Amino acid sequence: MTLAAGHPGFMSPTGVEIAFVLVGIATLGAALVTVTTKQLVHAALWLVVALGGFAVEYLLLTAEFIAWVQVLIYVGSVVVLLLFGLMLTKAPIGRSPDADSGNGWVALVVAVAAAATLVWVVVDAFRSTWVDLGGAAQGSAKVTGAILFRHWVLPFEALSVLLLAALVGAIVLSKRGAPARRSLLSKSEALPMRGVPSERKARES
Amino acid sequence: MDHLIGALIGAPLLGAGILLVGGRRLDRVGHWIGCLLAAVSFGIGAALFADMLGKPTDQRTLTSHLYSWVPVGGFRADVAFQLDQLSMTFVLLITGVGTLIHIYSIGYMAHDENRRRFFGYLNLFLAAMLLLVLADNYLLLYVGWEGVGLASYLLIGFWQHKPSAATAAKKAFIVNRVGDMGLSIAIMVLFTTYGTFSFGPVFAHATGASQAKLTVIGLLLLLGACGKSAQVPLQSWLGDAMEGPTPVSALIHAATMVTAGVYLVTRSGAIFNAAPTAQLAVCVVGAVTLMFGAIVGCAKDDIKKALAGSTMSQIGYMMLAAGLGPIGYVFAIMHLVTHGFFKAGLFLGAGSVMHGMNDEVDMRKYGGLRRYMPITYVTFGLGYLAIIGFPGLSGYWSKDKIIEAAFAKGGTEGWILGGVALLGAGITAYYMTRVMVLTFFGEERWEPAPDPDKTPGVEPGIEVHPGELPHPHESPRSMTIPMVILAFGSVFAGGLFSINSAFLKWLEPVTGHSEGHSPVSTWEVTAATLVVLVVGGALAWAQYGRRPVPVTAPRGSLVTRAARRDLLQDDFNHIVLVRGGEHLTRSLVYLDHSLVDGAVNGTAASVGGLSARLRQVQNGYVRSYAVSMLGGTAVLVAATLLMRAV
Amino acid sequence: MTGTIHSLWTTAADSATPLDKIPTPKIEYAQLSPVLIVFGAAVLGILVEALLPRRSRYIAQLGVSVTGLAAAFAAIVALAADGYASAKSHIAAMGAVAVDGPALFLQGTIVLVALVAAFTFAERRLDPLAHGRRVDSFAAQGSTVPGSEQEKRAVRAGFTTTEVFPLLLFAVGGMMIFPAANDLLTLFVSLEVFSLPLYLLCALARRHRLLSQEAAVKYFLLGAFSSAILLFGVALLYGYAGTISYGGIADVISGTAKMTPALANTTANDSLLLIGGAMVVVGLLFKVAAVPFHMWTPDVYQGAPTPVTGFMAAATKVAAFGALLRLLYVVLPGIRWDWRPVMWGVAIATMVIGAIIAVTQTDVKRLLAYSSIAHAGFILAGVIALSPDGVSSVLFYLAAYSFVTLGAFAVVTLVRDAGGEATHLSRWAGLGRRSPLVAAVFAVFLLAFAGIPLTSGFAGKFAVFKAAAQGGAVPLVIIGVISSAIAAFFYIRVIVLMFFSEPQPGGPSVAVPSALTSTAIAAGVAVTLALGVAPQYFLDLAGKASVFVR
Repeated sequence: MTLAAGHPGFMSPTGVEIAFVLVGIATLGAALVTVTTKQLVHAALWLVVALGGFAVEYLLLTAEFIAWVQVLIYVGSVVVLLLFGLMLTKAPIGRSPDADSGNGWVALVVAVAAAATLVWVVVDAFRSTWVDLGGAAQGSAKVTGAILFRHWVLPFEALSVLLLAALVGAIVLSKRGAPARRSLLSKSEALPMRGVPSERKARES
Repeated sequence: MDHLIGALIGAPLLGAGILLVGGRRLDRVGHWIGCLLAAVSFGIGAALFADMLGKPTDQRTLTSHLYSWVPVGGFRADVAFQLDQLSMTFVLLITGVGTLIHIYSIGYMAHDENRRRFFGYLNLFLAAMLLLVLADNYLLLYVGWEGVGLASYLLIGFWQHKPSAATAAKKAFIVNRVGDMGLSIAIMVLFTTYGTFSFGPVFAHATGASQAKLTVIGLLLLLGACGKSAQVPLQSWLGDAMEGPTPVSALIHAATMVTAGVYLVTRSGAIFNAAPTAQLAVCVVGAVTLMFGAIVGCAKDDIKKALAGSTMSQIGYMMLAAGLGPIGYVFAIMHLVTHGFFKAGLFLGAGSVMHGMNDEVDMRKYGGLRRYMPITYVTFGLGYLAIIGFPGLSGYWSKDKIIEAAFAKGGTEGWILGGVALLGAGITAYYMTRVMVLTFFGEERWEPAPDPDKTPGVEPGIEVHPGELPHPHESPRSMTIPMVILAFGSVFAGGLFSINSAFLKWLEPVTGHSEGHSPVSTWEVTAATLVVLVVGGALAWAQYGRRPVPVTAPRGSLVTRAARRDLLQDDFNHIVLVRGGEHLTRSLVYLDHSLVDGAVNGTAASVGGLSARLRQVQNGYVRSYAVSMLGGTAVLVAATLLMRAV
Repeated sequence: MTGTIHSLWTTAADSATPLDKIPTPKIEYAQLSPVLIVFGAAVLGILVEALLPRRSRYIAQLGVSVTGLAAAFAAIVALAADGYASAKSHIAAMGAVAVDGPALFLQGTIVLVALVAAFTFAERRLDPLAHGRRVDSFAAQGSTVPGSEQEKRAVRAGFTTTEVFPLLLFAVGGMMIFPAANDLLTLFVSLEVFSLPLYLLCALARRHRLLSQEAAVKYFLLGAFSSAILLFGVALLYGYAGTISYGGIADVISGTAKMTPALANTTANDSLLLIGGAMVVVGLLFKVAAVPFHMWTPDVYQGAPTPVTGFMAAATKVAAFGALLRLLYVVLPGIRWDWRPVMWGVAIATMVIGAIIAVTQTDVKRLLAYSSIAHAGFILAGVIALSPDGVSSVLFYLAAYSFVTLGAFAVVTLVRDAGGEATHLSRWAGLGRRSPLVAAVFAVFLLAFAGIPLTSGFAGKFAVFKAAAQGGAVPLVIIGVISSAIAAFFYIRVIVLMFFSEPQPGGPSVAVPSALTSTAIAAGVAVTLALGVAPQYFLDLAGKASVFVR
């Protein structure tokens, strides 16, 4: 796990760098398929590949903690949540040609612009910065844990409060008392999302 | 002791708060609360007075700084009090007479269902008046000034159901506004000139300003004083203000509020001393008013209005004295105090008479009352003797000094002013004798009480039996006791003040004093005064005492008729001010409609249009809100980067 | 681990130290006690919810909340009296929070506001009895579909959502950390801690539940969006400075930090700093409802239960402006030449647009929402002053404004008709004839909003504009005064409507509140008048509390 110590440069890639680029290409491909496939469930599954690819990249950068967090949170919960969402909204299995909204080009422009900005900013900022990954690694669980429980102990505890509040909120919003038993969700419960208190309404009334 | 100054004002203010906020549930005890807090205030005043007497002369000034209201740069608006000998005199007068009138009102207003509110207003008046005389800067004085204006408006219009009362209240308010405007402009000019509102620095540097500025300030202050003290040309409201309940007339329009102008001029003595032109204007206003009021007083048949004319005239004396400068300040204040006693006593006596006479105010329908109301007769009589300056009584000591000081001004001015003051004393004797004779002597000219439904001018709360002859009777204790106390003051106050020049020595450290060089000696003045007094009194006796008095007033000469109409003051106001004002207003309204409104409405319409267009953006869709946020972020980031690039 | 400030590169260098045992972090519990008390009370509230029978929860929750908040306020006062606001102010909890004058002043304000708000939350006399039970402003059961049979059943069963009290306390705790946060991570976490309960509270209105739920979802989505922007900004700042502690970033910006090759590389170009700083500021501007990040405000203010709106409008603004102050005065003063012109633009846009759109509003709650936007602009003018006067004037303005807002929304809860609160302005016509006291109190609040002398609004506006003018922003002050004039127009219009219009037949009635809401309104009036008549004491207090610790 060392870069070519003392002789950093793009012209003499190490094994790690080659692996990094290969995994990166795979991740990019998976991401592309995610947004282009016509099958919703497939998209979700390709997302798993893309997010997993990120985790591997983190590992290659010796950030093992972040890598496992990535797997846990994104692969483990976000994608699962997505799949749940697809199931609960009775999304069709198979092709759904009408899934595209027609704003694809706009989305493409936004995505490219965002990516370009990011790349530019990061490259601009870290143009020739070389981080020595030797020694006790930054991203290891041990270091992270030590820092978390020393320096970040207050934000960490505050986060626990946040989770508690979220828990209470979830209960408040979903708790059903004794008198009602109905299916979890039905069409009639879908929230009307279009401006009820909009200015137009306010003016009409 | 400093903090007691706040309590002095605080007690009646608290009373006003309790009584006005407390609502109907306090109806049963309201008047007691009002009296108690007025008495508390008097008690504190007396304690402070005792404390002050115990100190050496040069350390008698107490100050109390409560807090600063937004000090910004050079602008300091402090809530701070200053209690010196001048303020102390007023404090004792205001709280003392005020307490007596509170007690009197318990009986007088006994049948009025709004008695609690009345006491609330009285307390409010006390607090505002105390604030006025205790302020240590012009801004706070102005707050008190407006406060008494408000209280007097509320009290004059207390019987709102009487259209005349409502109109009178409005009139007093509007006329006072003119004066208040003068005062407020004066304060602004003061601030731009001296950079402060506080009395101390202003007076210390009074002479530093240019003569023109000093004169402007002085004249503007005088305008303010004219409004509040009912001096010509802003005198017209005082007569109408008698529509208020009689205790109000006694407290506000005789003893205390109307003297605020005299206080202002005396307090600002340093400025007037440095501006002789303004000082002369004060003298002239005082002299004119003293004649004006006296003449009006001679012609009125309404007892309260006759007394109001007399008030105007007596304050004219005070103004005259205050305008004389250091020769006169002390006597102005001394006359103010003695006048507070006897005029309050006279008004309370008048109220007592009305109380016994079915609320009749026309003196031509009185007569022979001395047999029916002995206490009122005696106290009123003592007040009468005091006001005309009967030797030995209060008025004699203070009024003679003013006449003497007027002569002492020297030169032609001195002769004119002194002459006017002397003549005024004669007329005073005339009209006061007239009131006395018409009311208490002669045959009984009583008439059946008018039907209250047909004549709206009747004070409510007093039992009226339409069609019956009145049954004059003495008033209850709560009314007679204050009258007796005030009568004592009318008799002895002046004498006490004059023993060993006590009052002069008391007030001198504040106002300063200088003896003028009178071209006539003291005994000459006294003798002359006595002569005009006897002549005036005798004339009145000859006219009203020896002949039967017609119940309906004769047409009278042109002068009498003019005097009955307050020397045409309202007509003057109407023709010159109201008509002129109407024309001015009409043309302004035209301008306003065509130009200003156009501009304002145009602006309003364009703002409204812009508003309507802008709110289109607020369409209720989250996605467009998010886009606007994203756009905003992009703009912000770009602008930040741009700033670096530039 | 030598440095207390964590940074990417320094820890890597220090890591030779054996890490077998994590050294105990130094936590100053006494100095954190206000926050800890509030969170403790919140946890206690959850236990109450879990363990007590339904009937006794209301009283218990109210007791826990009020006691907790009062104790927290006492703790703040004790800390301030102990000198933590001035001489002893320092950074506590391993660099996470600052204990200094502004922090304590703002925390005190927030706690007092919350205390008063708790009273309005607990009001149960305004709505008519529902099946023989007194009800508050919150939905009987959040999960029921509005207007459904379920909902009716829940109401009939007498359910009440007493969880709002712990949620309120959680939000208060987050708000207390927010202006005291001394690193970007704590800032973000506390932002989330107070935002999440607010989203939830917004969704719980008893009447107009669809509106309420829509408001909550809008608030949530846009709030999440703004959090993302903020977080992105944090990441960029970290990339620039290699640290996220306020002091550390400031040192890097001013060039006083120890230069390492890595740092030299990233700081060679300021783009990261500028973009990151701007994005963090955007996240905060969203919370204070500055234009163009204000769009959520009217919809959310209108939809949320009115007690929540009052609390949110008052306390969120205090907390967010506190955080913004600290960020701009502690972290970013080094690049003030870059952000000041931009903030000028934001302040002007906020004042002008807030005031102008308010002119055509017809709903009281929306009107107050736009007024709060305009006020955010006025406060921003003080923030930009970058002087101790600027800080103290903003602190004062926040204290004054929060109580006026709270009182105004409390009055809104009183004017009701059959459908709940009658918020349409036309329904308020002639209110002064029918209920002079309520109308007069509301008029006092409106006059304070308009900045009429002898109300706290005047003193606040005066202080803020004075600080701005002394900071060289005279054009800003002129525009501010013009916007105030426009704003005064619609405040006065409401007063005219209340007092000089004929009452509508069948207009709304004014509910007689219990002592709870009466106390809240009385507190609002008292503070408004006290700060207006005698502002000097409080200005001095704010002045003493205006030095940030670094």
